[in-house]
Amino acid sequence: MRRKEQRAAFASCHASVPATLFAGILALTMFCVQPVLVAISLMGALAFSALARGGRATLAGLRWQLPMLVLVCLANPFFSASGSTLLLRLGPVCIYLESLAYGAVMGALMVAVVLWFEGAAAVLTQDRLLGLAHGRAASISLVISMSAQLMPQMLRRGRGVEASLAACTAAGPCPGLRDRLTRESGQLMGWALEDSLERADAMRARGWESGARRTSYQPDVLCESDAARLCGIVLALAACALLAVAACAQWRFYPTMPSLLAWWGYVPYAALMFLPAGAALSERLRWRGLE
Amino acid sequence: MSAALEFDAVSFGYAGGGTLVLDGVGFSVPEGAFALLCGATGSGKSTLLRLAKPEIRPAGELAGTVRVFSEDVAGLSPVASAAAVGYVFQSPDAQIVCDTVWHEMAFGLENLGVPEAEMRRRVAETCNFFGMEPWFRAQTAELSGGQRQTLALAATLAMRPRLLLLDEPTSMLDPIAEKAFLGLLFRANRELGITVVVATHAPRAMAEYATCAFVVDRGEVREASVAEVALRRPLTVDKGAVHPAGSEVVSARELWYRHGRDCDWVLRGLDLRLVRGEVRALVGGNGCGKTTLLSVLAGVAKPQKGRVKNALAASQALLPQSPKAILARETVREELSEWGSGAGYGAAEVDAALEELGLADAADRHPYDLSGGQQQLLALKKLLLCRPQFLLLDEPTKGLDAAARERVARAVVAAREAGATVLLATHDMAFVEAVADRVSLMFDGDVTCTQPTAEFFADSWLYRP
Repeated sequence: MRRKEQRAAFASCHASVPATLFAGILALTMFCVQPVLVAISLMGALAFSALARGGRATLAGLRWQLPMLVLVCLANPFFSASGSTLLLRLGPVCIYLESLAYGAVMGALMVAVVLWFEGAAAVLTQDRLLGLAHGRAASISLVISMSAQLMPQMLRRGRGVEASLAACTAAGPCPGLRDRLTRESGQLMGWALEDSLERADAMRARGWESGARRTSYQPDVLCESDAARLCGIVLALAACALLAVAACAQWRFYPTMPSLLAWWGYVPYAALMFLPAGAALSERLRWRGLE
Repeated sequence: MSAALEFDAVSFGYAGGGTLVLDGVGFSVPEGAFALLCGATGSGKSTLLRLAKPEIRPAGELAGTVRVFSEDVAGLSPVASAAAVGYVFQSPDAQIVCDTVWHEMAFGLENLGVPEAEMRRRVAETCNFFGMEPWFRAQTAELSGGQRQTLALAATLAMRPRLLLLDEPTSMLDPIAEKAFLGLLFRANRELGITVVVATHAPRAMAEYATCAFVVDRGEVREASVAEVALRRPLTVDKGAVHPAGSEVVSARELWYRHGRDCDWVLRGLDLRLVRGEVRALVGGNGCGKTTLLSVLAGVAKPQKGRVKNALAASQALLPQSPKAILARETVREELSEWGSGAGYGAAEVDAALEELGLADAADRHPYDLSGGQQQLLALKKLLLCRPQFLLLDEPTKGLDAAARERVARAVVAAREAGATVLLATHDMAFVEAVADRVSLMFDGDVTCTQPTAEFFADSWLYRP
């Protein structure tokens, strides 16, 4: 587990660095409905996903994400029948090129957003995210931390209960699915409640709600280089946001789409969107060089 | 030497309960001692320990004084008590609070408001002491039972208590994990000077570390010698003559099994044959595949290669490691009646079973209100009421005291006499000696040898009843 963790992108940065980067990238992706910007973001997200989560996991995700893209593209003309280039008339519904293009861009945007979220989740594990709260909202952090531990335990126990019941053939025929689920859910709840009594005691025995002002242990420390990276990322995000506003102001879908031109402003935007993939790649190459 | 823990004429009765659990108890544990608190399940050991920790004191009537390092615990603030007295619970599952090891280690210190620099130092030193660095960043859900219990101990010691109370800390662990845990506990006692008080119903494993012992019996506490409490008491069960070889009823040939495509093989070409009416014990190290083998033979896990022939598949029952996986009803009586219609038994058999278990008065109580031993006996009885021809038992004596182990042993012998074939996986060698006809040693996913019980122990270099 450690091995995997050490090789992941952004593993050696403070969690606030990737958190800021991904939050900015997600915001830019969500608000910039412009074909070139969406395409750049989608490509950056795919490249990062392939490097951080692996090609197999990315392809497995695309198996449902691509049909979603196509579906959004094809469904849009039915909701928004506007545009100027009529392609097809299906009874009362007119299918315009502009409407299809809008659907395709929105579909690609949704896929890009999903991919960025998946990539961010691979880098920002839940304990790193909770660490960012820096001890505030201790009860909420604890609830999230406990559910992360207890939900898998409950599912594991559920499988155990199911297997025990299936193994006891001497008890007569297995009850129907509905009865079994009712029995099992009651049983698992009872079991969890029983455990919670001891857990509550274990928490009190270690000073939970003892009245002292809580402090917070930070497994990661924000060092100078992290602060510098953070400043760089915030500046890059601000610059790209300005460029994106300019690009979006030049673009419209309806009634006609202007033609897309080559523009220097796409280059810094692409550099930002490929920054996570670049970081993951350099981490990987560094390891290859060491082995 | 001053006393670390002192009970002075302490009496305690639970709220609403008539009889006193503790009646005029007086004893003291000197500073630096490793004290054993022995007694059967339900004798009041846990209650006694909890009285020294006001945050988790049970509700009830308390008379007398409990002192920790000469200070009355009634006057201790929650912060002072949490800092001075550590408490480790029985269940490795229930007492872990956080999802990562580092957060669990820091949890108590965060609660006490220890400054961050000091907290880092304490966590680091405690992890060094316990050799926990390799798994410091791990998720707690990934840890073994032994590691979880070590984590519970380390997280408590990070708070630097001077007195450590432990309630049956090793009863859910296998013997190897138990030894490792006790080794760490002993080091904490000797090297860090922490006074240790362990409540246990199985004091033998701790005898070499203990400096004094107390016995809790019928509400009273008396001092005893460590040798006395650690005396070996074999199970007194007459299993009768070894069964002659019957016909083969269950067989497994060249079983290969793993939990997932990327996992290691748990079973590697395993062969096993059981004859009708025998009691077979499966022994072997932790994680050698005993539980998996039981699941595969019971047909709930499918082997990737190999075949299982089970002539008794229509009349089998499996007792999992935790009886809670079997217990699903609101009362003890409903529990025993649950499978009545399917298995063909009625209220008369349930009443007889309640009598036999000594639970006739507790028939309307929730099964979880029973002790661990009673729950295990109830779950076993629930299976036996179905008169299974093939009984699979996974660690049936885990966490049980001597009396409950003996009752489980009697139930197994009785099932065999009724014609059942029994396969049990266990670490409890005294139990194996008491009930098994033959023993199979599992190693590396295969059965290394199978021998009659007496012969197995005579030839073994490691296993002793």
